[in-house]
Amino acid sequence: MAFLEKFMDMDRRWVYLLSWIFVLAPLLYPLGLPIPINQESIGWYNYIENIPAGSTVIFAPMYGTSGIPELFPMTVATMRHLWSRPIKVIVVTFWTEGALVFNILLGQVDPTSYGKVYGTDWIHLGYIPGSETAMASFARDITGTVSADFLRGQPTTSYPIMANIRTAPDIDLIISIETGTPGYTEWLRQWQAPYAVPMIVGLIGVSVPGIAPYIQSGQVSAYLPGLTSSAEYENLIHRPGLAVAGVDAVSMSHLMVVILVVLGNIAYFASRSSKGGKK
Amino acid sequence: MVDLLAIWTAVFFTLAIYSILYRDTAWYRIAESVYLGVAVGYGVSVDLLYVRNQWTTGGWSTPGVMLAGFAIAVIMGILWYFRFIKQYFYLYRWPLSIIVGTGIGLALRAVIFVQFRDMIVAQVRLNLWVPTNMLTTFNNILLFIMVPCVLLYFWFTGAKIRETAPMKVVDKIARYTMMAGFGSAFGYTILTRFSMFIGRAQFLLGITPNPPENRTAFIVLALLILGSMIVYDLFFKKKS
Repeated sequence: MAFLEKFMDMDRRWVYLLSWIFVLAPLLYPLGLPIPINQESIGWYNYIENIPAGSTVIFAPMYGTSGIPELFPMTVATMRHLWSRPIKVIVVTFWTEGALVFNILLGQVDPTSYGKVYGTDWIHLGYIPGSETAMASFARDITGTVSADFLRGQPTTSYPIMANIRTAPDIDLIISIETGTPGYTEWLRQWQAPYAVPMIVGLIGVSVPGIAPYIQSGQVSAYLPGLTSSAEYENLIHRPGLAVAGVDAVSMSHLMVVILVVLGNIAYFASRSSKGGKK
Repeated sequence: MVDLLAIWTAVFFTLAIYSILYRDTAWYRIAESVYLGVAVGYGVSVDLLYVRNQWTTGGWSTPGVMLAGFAIAVIMGILWYFRFIKQYFYLYRWPLSIIVGTGIGLALRAVIFVQFRDMIVAQVRLNLWVPTNMLTTFNNILLFIMVPCVLLYFWFTGAKIRETAPMKVVDKIARYTMMAGFGSAFGYTILTRFSMFIGRAQFLLGITPNPPENRTAFIVLALLILGSMIVYDLFFKKKS
Protein backbone atom coordinates (compact mmCIF):
# COMPACT_ATOMS: atom_id res chain seq x y z
CA MET A 1 0.00 0.00 0.00
CA ALA A 2 2.89 2.29 0.78
CA PHE A 3 4.15 1.75 -2.75
CA LEU A 4 0.79 2.77 -4.21
CA GLU A 5 0.72 5.92 -2.09
CA LYS A 6 4.23 6.75 -3.24
CA PHE A 7 3.11 6.11 -6.80
CA MET A 8 0.32 8.68 -6.35
CA ASP A 9 2.90 11.31 -5.36
CA MET A 10 5.51 10.32 -7.95
CA ASP A 11 7.66 13.16 -9.26
CA ARG A 12 6.48 13.94 -12.77
CA ARG A 13 10.08 13.87 -13.97
CA TRP A 14 10.04 10.07 -13.69
CA VAL A 15 7.22 10.08 -16.25
CA TYR A 16 9.34 12.26 -18.55
CA LEU A 17 12.27 9.87 -18.16
CA LEU A 18 10.01 6.91 -18.96
CA SER A 19 8.75 8.79 -22.04
CA TRP A 20 12.32 9.22 -23.29
CA ILE A 21 13.00 5.51 -22.78
CA PHE A 22 9.74 4.34 -24.39
CA VAL A 23 10.32 6.61 -27.42
CA LEU A 24 14.07 6.27 -27.96
CA ALA A 25 14.28 2.49 -27.45
CA PRO A 26 11.96 1.49 -30.36
CA LEU A 27 13.60 4.11 -32.58
CA LEU A 28 17.03 2.60 -31.90
CA TYR A 29 15.81 -1.00 -32.01
CA PRO A 30 12.69 -1.14 -34.26
CA LEU A 31 10.14 -3.78 -33.28
CA GLY A 32 8.55 -4.02 -36.72
CA LEU A 33 5.00 -3.98 -35.39
CA PRO A 34 2.35 -4.40 -38.13
CA ILE A 35 0.72 -1.24 -39.51
CA PRO A 36 -2.93 -1.97 -40.35
CA ILE A 37 -4.36 0.34 -43.04
CA ASN A 38 -7.38 2.29 -41.80
CA GLN A 39 -10.33 3.87 -43.57
CA GLU A 40 -8.97 7.44 -43.32
CA SER A 41 -5.71 6.80 -45.15
CA ILE A 42 -7.45 4.67 -47.80
CA GLY A 43 -9.95 7.50 -48.34
CA TRP A 44 -7.12 10.05 -48.65
CA TYR A 45 -5.17 7.83 -51.07
CA ASN A 46 -8.23 7.11 -53.22
CA TYR A 47 -9.21 10.78 -53.36
CA ILE A 48 -5.81 11.85 -54.69
CA GLU A 49 -5.58 8.82 -56.97
CA ASN A 50 -8.94 9.71 -58.55
CA ILE A 51 -8.30 13.41 -59.20
CA PRO A 52 -8.98 13.81 -62.94
CA ALA A 53 -5.90 14.35 -65.11
CA GLY A 54 -5.23 18.01 -65.89
CA SER A 55 -6.87 19.26 -62.68
CA THR A 56 -5.37 22.18 -60.77
CA VAL A 57 -4.92 21.62 -57.07
CA ILE A 58 -4.00 24.03 -54.28
CA PHE A 59 -1.59 22.47 -51.83
CA ALA A 60 -1.36 24.45 -48.60
CA PRO A 61 1.19 23.60 -45.88
CA MET A 62 -0.62 25.52 -43.13
CA TYR A 63 1.83 24.97 -40.29
CA GLY A 64 5.15 26.12 -38.95
CA THR A 65 8.26 24.39 -37.74
CA SER A 66 6.51 23.22 -34.56
CA GLY A 67 4.13 21.12 -36.66
CA ILE A 68 6.90 19.44 -38.67
CA PRO A 69 7.33 16.34 -36.46
CA GLU A 70 3.73 15.22 -36.94
CA LEU A 71 2.75 16.71 -40.30
CA PHE A 72 5.89 16.71 -42.41
CA PRO A 73 5.76 12.96 -43.25
CA MET A 74 2.23 13.30 -44.68
CA THR A 75 3.27 16.50 -46.51
CA VAL A 76 6.13 14.68 -48.21
CA ALA A 77 4.01 11.61 -49.02
CA THR A 78 1.15 13.71 -50.43
CA MET A 79 3.49 15.77 -52.63
CA ARG A 80 5.15 12.58 -53.91
CA HIS A 81 1.71 11.22 -54.76
CA LEU A 82 0.60 14.47 -56.44
CA TRP A 83 3.80 14.79 -58.47
CA SER A 84 3.43 11.19 -59.63
CA ARG A 85 0.11 12.10 -61.28
CA PRO A 86 -0.75 14.39 -64.24
CA ILE A 87 -2.00 17.17 -61.96
CA LYS A 88 -1.02 20.83 -61.68
CA VAL A 89 -0.12 21.93 -58.16
CA ILE A 90 -0.18 25.47 -56.77
CA VAL A 91 1.60 25.68 -53.42
CA VAL A 92 0.46 28.51 -51.18
CA THR A 93 0.31 29.11 -47.43
CA PHE A 94 -1.30 31.52 -45.01
CA TRP A 95 1.07 30.49 -42.19
CA THR A 96 4.24 32.54 -41.70
CA GLU A 97 6.58 29.53 -41.70
CA GLY A 98 4.58 27.48 -44.23
CA ALA A 99 6.78 28.51 -47.16
CA LEU A 100 9.86 27.58 -45.13
CA VAL A 101 8.39 24.14 -44.45
CA PHE A 102 7.85 23.58 -48.17
CA ASN A 103 11.43 24.64 -48.90
CA ILE A 104 12.61 21.91 -46.50
CA LEU A 105 10.49 19.47 -48.51
CA LEU A 106 12.17 20.63 -51.73
CA GLY A 107 15.50 19.74 -50.13
CA GLN A 108 14.33 16.13 -49.81
CA VAL A 109 12.12 15.59 -52.87
CA ASP A 110 13.14 16.68 -56.36
CA PRO A 111 10.09 17.45 -58.56
CA THR A 112 12.18 17.01 -61.72
CA SER A 113 12.62 13.33 -60.80
CA TYR A 114 8.86 13.06 -61.43
CA GLY A 115 9.24 14.94 -64.71
CA LYS A 116 7.61 18.06 -63.30
CA VAL A 117 8.62 21.48 -64.60
CA TYR A 118 8.47 24.53 -62.34
CA GLY A 119 5.98 27.09 -63.61
CA THR A 120 4.28 24.60 -65.90
CA ASP A 121 3.33 21.69 -63.64
CA TRP A 122 3.70 23.30 -60.26
CA ILE A 123 4.42 26.68 -58.67
CA HIS A 124 5.33 27.90 -55.18
CA LEU A 125 3.47 31.12 -54.36
CA GLY A 126 4.77 31.29 -50.80
CA TYR A 127 3.19 32.99 -47.82
CA ILE A 128 0.33 35.49 -47.99
CA PRO A 129 -0.11 37.61 -44.85
CA GLY A 130 -3.60 38.44 -43.60
CA SER A 131 -5.08 35.12 -42.49
CA GLU A 132 -8.78 34.72 -43.35
CA THR A 133 -8.97 38.14 -45.02
CA ALA A 134 -6.14 37.12 -47.33
CA MET A 135 -7.85 33.79 -48.06
CA ALA A 136 -10.99 35.66 -49.14
CA SER A 137 -8.94 38.00 -51.31
CA PHE A 138 -7.03 35.06 -52.81
CA ALA A 139 -10.33 33.41 -53.76
CA ARG A 140 -11.57 36.53 -55.59
CA ASP A 141 -8.31 37.37 -57.39
CA ILE A 142 -5.53 34.79 -57.23
CA THR A 143 -2.82 36.48 -59.33
CA GLY A 144 -3.74 39.90 -57.95
CA THR A 145 -3.29 38.73 -54.36
CA VAL A 146 0.06 37.07 -55.12
CA SER A 147 1.83 39.06 -57.80
CA ALA A 148 5.17 37.19 -57.64
CA ASP A 149 6.11 33.57 -56.95
CA PHE A 150 8.16 32.65 -53.89
CA LEU A 151 11.09 30.78 -55.46
CA ARG A 152 12.07 33.17 -58.26
CA GLY A 153 10.23 36.41 -57.53
CA GLN A 154 8.86 36.57 -61.09
CA PRO A 155 5.33 37.81 -61.90
CA THR A 156 2.86 34.95 -61.35
CA THR A 157 1.08 35.79 -64.59
CA SER A 158 4.28 35.01 -66.51
CA TYR A 159 4.05 31.27 -65.69
CA PRO A 160 2.07 28.93 -68.00
CA ILE A 161 0.43 27.17 -65.01
CA MET A 162 -1.32 30.42 -64.03
CA ALA A 163 -2.62 31.18 -67.55
CA ASN A 164 -6.19 30.13 -66.84
CA ILE A 165 -6.18 30.60 -63.09
CA ARG A 166 -7.95 33.76 -61.97
CA THR A 167 -10.47 32.99 -59.21
CA ALA A 168 -11.49 30.18 -56.84
CA PRO A 169 -13.76 28.34 -59.33
CA ASP A 170 -10.66 27.69 -61.49
CA ILE A 171 -9.31 25.45 -58.72
CA ASP A 172 -10.47 21.82 -58.57
CA LEU A 173 -9.33 20.85 -55.08
CA ILE A 174 -7.76 22.26 -51.90
CA ILE A 175 -5.36 20.07 -49.94
CA SER A 176 -4.64 21.69 -46.59
CA ILE A 177 -2.12 20.19 -44.16
CA GLU A 178 -2.56 22.10 -40.93
CA THR A 179 -2.17 22.57 -37.20
CA GLY A 180 -4.75 25.24 -36.39
CA THR A 181 -6.00 28.71 -37.30
CA PRO A 182 -6.17 29.70 -40.11
CA GLY A 183 -7.12 26.24 -41.27
CA TYR A 184 -10.03 24.18 -42.49
CA THR A 185 -12.78 26.38 -40.99
CA GLU A 186 -11.39 29.42 -42.83
CA TRP A 187 -11.03 27.41 -46.07
CA LEU A 188 -14.62 26.26 -45.63
CA ARG A 189 -15.90 29.79 -45.01
CA GLN A 190 -14.00 31.55 -47.79
CA TRP A 191 -13.57 28.80 -50.43
CA GLN A 192 -15.75 25.75 -49.97
CA ALA A 193 -19.05 27.42 -49.06
CA PRO A 194 -19.04 30.37 -51.50
CA TYR A 195 -17.33 28.67 -54.47
CA ALA A 196 -18.03 24.95 -53.86
CA VAL A 197 -14.33 24.03 -54.12
CA PRO A 198 -13.90 20.55 -52.57
CA MET A 199 -11.24 20.13 -49.91
CA ILE A 200 -9.33 17.42 -48.08
CA VAL A 201 -7.43 18.05 -44.86
CA GLY A 202 -4.38 16.52 -43.22
CA LEU A 203 -4.16 17.48 -39.58
CA ILE A 204 -2.62 16.87 -36.17
CA GLY A 205 -4.35 14.45 -33.84
CA VAL A 206 -5.57 17.19 -31.47
CA SER A 207 -7.75 18.64 -34.25
CA VAL A 208 -9.51 15.38 -35.17
CA PRO A 209 -12.53 15.69 -32.81
CA GLY A 210 -13.06 19.22 -34.18
CA ILE A 211 -13.14 18.20 -37.83
CA ALA A 212 -15.37 15.14 -37.32
CA PRO A 213 -18.68 17.05 -37.81
CA TYR A 214 -17.42 18.45 -41.12
CA ILE A 215 -16.56 14.94 -42.33
CA GLN A 216 -20.01 13.76 -41.27
CA SER A 217 -21.66 16.64 -43.16
CA GLY A 218 -19.55 16.05 -46.27
CA GLN A 219 -18.06 19.55 -46.24
CA VAL A 220 -14.59 18.02 -45.95
CA SER A 221 -14.20 15.16 -48.43
CA ALA A 222 -11.33 13.24 -46.79
CA TYR A 223 -8.89 13.64 -43.93
CA LEU A 224 -5.58 12.24 -42.77
CA PRO A 225 -5.18 12.40 -38.98
CA GLY A 226 -1.77 12.35 -37.34
CA LEU A 227 1.43 10.37 -37.59
CA THR A 228 -0.05 6.85 -37.63
CA SER A 229 -2.27 7.64 -40.62
CA SER A 230 0.77 9.18 -42.33
CA ALA A 231 2.57 5.85 -41.88
CA GLU A 232 -0.37 3.99 -43.44
CA TYR A 233 -0.38 6.43 -46.34
CA GLU A 234 3.39 6.07 -46.83
CA ASN A 235 2.84 2.32 -47.13
CA LEU A 236 -0.03 2.83 -49.59
CA ILE A 237 2.21 4.83 -51.95
CA HIS A 238 5.09 2.37 -51.33
CA ARG A 239 7.41 5.10 -50.03
CA PRO A 240 8.02 4.31 -46.33
CA GLY A 241 9.54 7.29 -44.55
CA LEU A 242 9.76 8.94 -41.14
CA ALA A 243 6.15 8.10 -40.22
CA VAL A 244 6.66 4.35 -40.75
CA ALA A 245 9.92 4.59 -38.79
CA GLY A 246 8.08 6.28 -35.92
CA VAL A 247 5.07 3.98 -35.58
CA ASP A 248 6.78 1.60 -33.14
CA ALA A 249 7.58 4.57 -30.91
CA VAL A 250 3.93 5.74 -31.13
CA SER A 251 2.70 2.30 -30.07
CA MET A 252 5.19 2.00 -27.20
CA SER A 253 4.55 5.53 -25.91
CA HIS A 254 0.79 4.92 -25.94
CA LEU A 255 1.32 1.64 -24.13
CA MET A 256 3.25 3.54 -21.49
CA VAL A 257 0.41 6.08 -21.09
CA VAL A 258 -2.18 3.29 -20.78
CA ILE A 259 -0.08 1.48 -18.14
CA LEU A 260 0.36 4.72 -16.16
CA VAL A 261 -3.36 5.54 -16.35
CA VAL A 262 -4.30 2.03 -15.16
CA LEU A 263 -1.71 2.09 -12.34
CA GLY A 264 -2.81 5.59 -11.36
CA ASN A 265 -6.42 4.47 -11.08
CA ILE A 266 -5.52 1.35 -9.09
CA ALA A 267 -3.41 3.47 -6.72
CA TYR A 268 -6.21 6.02 -6.35
CA PHE A 269 -8.92 3.48 -5.54
CA ALA A 270 -6.61 1.43 -3.31
CA SER A 271 -5.56 4.47 -1.27
CA ARG A 272 -9.20 5.59 -1.03
CA SER A 273 -10.37 2.24 0.27
CA SER A 274 -7.45 2.07 2.75
CA LYS A 275 -8.62 5.39 4.20
CA GLY A 276 -12.21 4.20 4.51
CA GLY A 277 -13.34 5.82 1.29
CA LYS A 278 -12.94 9.31 2.70
CA LYS A 279 -10.34 10.61 0.32
CA MET B 1 31.54 23.00 -41.87
CA VAL B 2 28.50 25.25 -42.05
CA ASP B 3 26.23 22.17 -42.11
CA LEU B 4 27.96 20.75 -39.05
CA LEU B 5 27.56 24.06 -37.19
CA ALA B 6 23.85 24.11 -38.12
CA ILE B 7 23.44 20.54 -36.85
CA TRP B 8 25.09 21.23 -33.49
CA THR B 9 23.12 24.47 -33.09
CA ALA B 10 19.81 22.73 -33.86
CA VAL B 11 20.58 19.85 -31.49
CA PHE B 12 21.63 22.27 -28.76
CA PHE B 13 18.42 24.30 -28.99
CA THR B 14 16.26 21.15 -29.08
CA LEU B 15 17.89 19.83 -25.91
CA ALA B 16 17.86 23.27 -24.27
CA ILE B 17 14.08 23.44 -24.78
CA TYR B 18 13.69 19.91 -23.37
CA SER B 19 15.70 20.90 -20.30
CA ILE B 20 12.44 22.40 -18.96
CA LEU B 21 11.46 18.78 -18.21
CA TYR B 22 14.09 18.79 -15.47
CA ARG B 23 13.26 22.28 -14.23
CA ASP B 24 13.28 25.91 -15.38
CA THR B 25 16.90 26.36 -16.48
CA ALA B 26 19.05 29.05 -18.04
CA TRP B 27 19.41 26.80 -21.12
CA TYR B 28 15.65 26.78 -21.53
CA ARG B 29 15.39 30.55 -21.08
CA ILE B 30 18.09 31.15 -23.71
CA ALA B 31 16.48 28.77 -26.22
CA GLU B 32 13.01 30.19 -25.60
CA SER B 33 14.16 33.78 -26.17
CA VAL B 34 16.17 32.89 -29.27
CA TYR B 35 13.26 30.92 -30.75
CA LEU B 36 10.82 33.75 -30.18
CA GLY B 37 13.24 36.30 -31.59
CA VAL B 38 13.99 34.24 -34.69
CA ALA B 39 10.30 33.46 -35.27
CA VAL B 40 9.27 37.12 -35.01
CA GLY B 41 12.20 38.22 -37.18
CA TYR B 42 11.35 35.66 -39.82
CA GLY B 43 7.68 36.70 -39.72
CA VAL B 44 8.53 40.37 -40.26
CA SER B 45 10.89 39.54 -43.12
CA VAL B 46 8.33 37.44 -45.06
CA ASP B 47 5.68 40.12 -44.48
CA LEU B 48 8.03 42.72 -45.93
CA LEU B 49 8.89 40.40 -48.83
CA TYR B 50 5.18 40.19 -49.67
CA VAL B 51 4.79 43.99 -49.52
CA ARG B 52 7.88 44.46 -51.72
CA ASN B 53 6.55 42.00 -54.31
CA GLN B 54 3.16 43.65 -54.37
CA TRP B 55 4.85 47.05 -54.74
CA THR B 56 7.17 46.03 -57.58
CA THR B 57 5.05 43.53 -59.53
CA GLY B 58 1.58 43.75 -58.01
CA GLY B 59 0.65 47.25 -59.07
CA TRP B 60 0.48 48.75 -55.59
CA SER B 61 2.82 51.51 -56.83
CA THR B 62 0.49 52.41 -59.73
CA PRO B 63 -0.71 56.02 -59.26
CA GLY B 64 -4.41 56.16 -58.52
CA VAL B 65 -6.65 53.99 -56.40
CA MET B 66 -3.97 51.34 -55.77
CA LEU B 67 -1.40 53.82 -54.50
CA ALA B 68 -3.99 55.63 -52.37
CA GLY B 69 -5.08 52.30 -50.87
CA PHE B 70 -1.47 51.38 -50.14
CA ALA B 71 -0.85 54.77 -48.49
CA ILE B 72 -3.91 54.31 -46.24
CA ALA B 73 -2.71 50.81 -45.33
CA VAL B 74 0.75 52.15 -44.42
CA ILE B 75 -0.78 54.90 -42.26
CA MET B 76 -3.00 52.34 -40.52
CA GLY B 77 0.07 50.19 -39.96
CA ILE B 78 1.94 53.07 -38.34
CA LEU B 79 -1.06 53.80 -36.10
CA TRP B 80 -0.63 50.36 -34.53
CA TYR B 81 2.53 51.61 -32.82
CA PHE B 82 0.65 54.32 -30.92
CA ARG B 83 -0.23 51.55 -28.52
CA PHE B 84 3.12 52.27 -26.89
CA ILE B 85 2.46 56.03 -26.40
CA LYS B 86 0.01 56.67 -23.61
CA GLN B 87 -0.92 60.16 -24.83
CA TYR B 88 -1.98 58.94 -28.28
CA PHE B 89 -3.18 55.49 -27.33
CA TYR B 90 -6.63 56.22 -28.77
CA LEU B 91 -5.16 56.33 -32.30
CA TYR B 92 -4.26 52.66 -31.98
CA ARG B 93 -7.95 51.83 -31.72
CA TRP B 94 -8.56 52.83 -35.35
CA PRO B 95 -6.53 50.11 -37.05
CA LEU B 96 -7.63 47.65 -34.35
CA SER B 97 -11.30 48.34 -35.03
CA ILE B 98 -10.79 48.05 -38.79
CA ILE B 99 -8.96 44.71 -38.47
CA VAL B 100 -11.49 43.27 -36.02
CA GLY B 101 -14.47 44.60 -37.98
CA THR B 102 -13.18 43.27 -41.30
CA GLY B 103 -12.35 39.89 -39.80
CA ILE B 104 -15.71 39.46 -38.08
CA GLY B 105 -17.60 40.67 -41.14
CA LEU B 106 -15.81 38.23 -43.44
CA ALA B 107 -16.25 35.31 -41.06
CA LEU B 108 -19.90 35.97 -40.24
CA ARG B 109 -20.75 36.09 -43.93
CA ALA B 110 -20.17 32.34 -44.12
CA VAL B 111 -20.40 31.10 -40.52
CA ILE B 112 -24.16 30.85 -40.72
CA PHE B 113 -23.87 28.48 -43.69
CA VAL B 114 -20.72 26.52 -42.88
CA GLN B 115 -21.06 26.03 -39.15
CA PHE B 116 -24.83 26.22 -38.65
CA ARG B 117 -27.05 25.48 -41.66
CA ASP B 118 -24.93 22.70 -43.16
CA MET B 119 -24.57 21.00 -39.78
CA ILE B 120 -28.34 20.96 -39.27
CA VAL B 121 -28.88 19.65 -42.81
CA ALA B 122 -26.32 16.88 -42.22
CA GLN B 123 -28.06 15.89 -38.98
CA VAL B 124 -31.48 15.82 -40.63
CA ARG B 125 -30.17 13.76 -43.57
CA LEU B 126 -28.62 11.06 -41.36
CA ASN B 127 -29.25 7.68 -42.92
CA LEU B 128 -30.38 5.46 -40.06
CA TRP B 129 -30.24 2.25 -42.05
CA VAL B 130 -27.18 1.41 -44.17
CA PRO B 131 -27.61 -2.30 -44.99
CA THR B 132 -24.11 -2.62 -46.49
CA ASN B 133 -22.35 -1.23 -43.42
CA MET B 134 -23.76 -2.03 -40.00
CA LEU B 135 -21.06 -0.01 -38.24
CA THR B 136 -22.18 3.15 -40.08
CA THR B 137 -25.80 2.32 -39.23
CA PHE B 138 -24.89 2.04 -35.55
CA ASN B 139 -22.82 5.23 -35.70
CA ASN B 140 -25.64 7.17 -37.36
CA ILE B 141 -28.21 5.97 -34.82
CA LEU B 142 -25.91 7.10 -32.02
CA LEU B 143 -25.48 10.50 -33.68
CA PHE B 144 -29.25 10.78 -34.13
CA ILE B 145 -29.74 10.33 -30.38
CA MET B 146 -26.64 12.00 -28.96
CA VAL B 147 -26.58 15.33 -30.82
CA PRO B 148 -30.07 16.48 -29.70
CA CYS B 149 -29.34 15.28 -26.16
CA VAL B 150 -26.18 17.40 -25.88
CA LEU B 151 -28.01 20.41 -27.34
CA LEU B 152 -30.79 19.96 -24.79
CA TYR B 153 -28.23 19.65 -21.99
CA PHE B 154 -27.24 23.26 -22.61
CA TRP B 155 -30.81 24.46 -22.61
CA PHE B 156 -30.92 26.25 -19.29
CA THR B 157 -34.44 27.68 -19.10
CA GLY B 158 -37.47 25.93 -17.65
CA ALA B 159 -36.33 24.63 -14.27
CA LYS B 160 -39.44 22.48 -13.84
CA ILE B 161 -39.00 20.75 -17.18
CA ARG B 162 -35.36 19.99 -16.39
CA GLU B 163 -36.46 18.10 -13.29
CA THR B 164 -38.75 15.72 -15.19
CA ALA B 165 -37.78 12.04 -15.70
CA PRO B 166 -37.28 12.21 -19.50
CA MET B 167 -34.97 15.21 -19.15
CA LYS B 168 -32.88 13.37 -16.57
CA VAL B 169 -32.37 10.57 -19.11
CA VAL B 170 -31.44 13.16 -21.73
CA ASP B 171 -28.94 14.75 -19.34
CA LYS B 172 -27.35 11.39 -18.62
CA ILE B 173 -26.96 10.53 -22.32
CA ALA B 174 -25.52 14.02 -22.92
CA ARG B 175 -22.98 13.61 -20.12
CA TYR B 176 -21.85 10.22 -21.47
CA THR B 177 -21.62 11.70 -24.97
CA MET B 178 -19.49 14.59 -23.79
CA MET B 179 -17.26 12.31 -21.71
CA ALA B 180 -16.71 10.14 -24.80
CA GLY B 181 -15.86 13.29 -26.76
CA PHE B 182 -13.43 14.53 -24.12
CA GLY B 183 -11.85 11.07 -23.93
CA SER B 184 -11.35 11.05 -27.67
CA ALA B 185 -9.85 14.54 -27.55
CA PHE B 186 -7.49 13.47 -24.74
CA GLY B 187 -6.38 10.39 -26.67
CA TYR B 188 -5.66 12.39 -29.79
CA THR B 189 -3.83 15.01 -27.73
CA ILE B 190 -1.54 12.28 -26.40
CA LEU B 191 -1.00 11.13 -29.99
CA THR B 192 -0.04 14.63 -31.11
CA ARG B 193 2.28 15.39 -28.19
CA PHE B 194 4.10 12.09 -28.55
CA SER B 195 4.24 12.45 -32.35
CA MET B 196 5.99 15.79 -31.90
CA PHE B 197 8.40 14.26 -29.42
CA ILE B 198 9.03 11.29 -31.74
CA GLY B 199 9.79 13.68 -34.60
CA ARG B 200 12.41 15.47 -32.53
CA ALA B 201 13.77 12.15 -31.26
CA GLN B 202 14.21 10.99 -34.87
CA PHE B 203 16.10 14.21 -35.53
CA LEU B 204 18.30 13.77 -32.47
CA LEU B 205 19.09 10.16 -33.37
CA GLY B 206 19.87 11.08 -36.99
CA ILE B 207 17.31 8.72 -38.48
CA THR B 208 17.14 9.12 -42.29
CA PRO B 209 16.59 11.66 -43.89
CA ASN B 210 18.08 13.49 -40.88
CA PRO B 211 21.90 13.73 -40.97
CA PRO B 212 23.61 10.88 -39.05
CA GLU B 213 25.98 13.42 -37.42
CA ASN B 214 23.03 14.46 -35.24
CA ARG B 215 23.52 11.46 -32.98
CA THR B 216 27.05 12.43 -31.91
CA ALA B 217 25.94 16.00 -31.25
CA PHE B 218 22.97 14.66 -29.27
CA ILE B 219 25.09 12.47 -26.99
CA VAL B 220 27.74 15.12 -26.34
CA LEU B 221 25.36 18.02 -25.80
CA ALA B 222 22.88 15.97 -23.72
CA LEU B 223 25.69 15.01 -21.34
CA LEU B 224 26.93 18.60 -21.14
CA ILE B 225 23.50 20.12 -20.52
CA LEU B 226 22.43 17.45 -18.04
CA GLY B 227 25.81 17.63 -16.31
CA SER B 228 25.63 21.41 -16.01
CA MET B 229 22.17 21.22 -14.42
CA ILE B 230 23.22 18.55 -11.91
CA VAL B 231 26.43 20.40 -11.00
CA TYR B 232 24.46 23.61 -10.50
CA ASP B 233 21.96 21.84 -8.24
CA LEU B 234 24.71 20.18 -6.18
CA PHE B 235 27.14 23.04 -5.68
CA PHE B 236 25.49 26.38 -6.40
CA LYS B 237 21.77 26.15 -5.76
CA LYS B 238 22.16 25.37 -2.04
CA LYS B 239 24.54 28.28 -1.53
CA SER B 240 22.19 30.74 -3.18
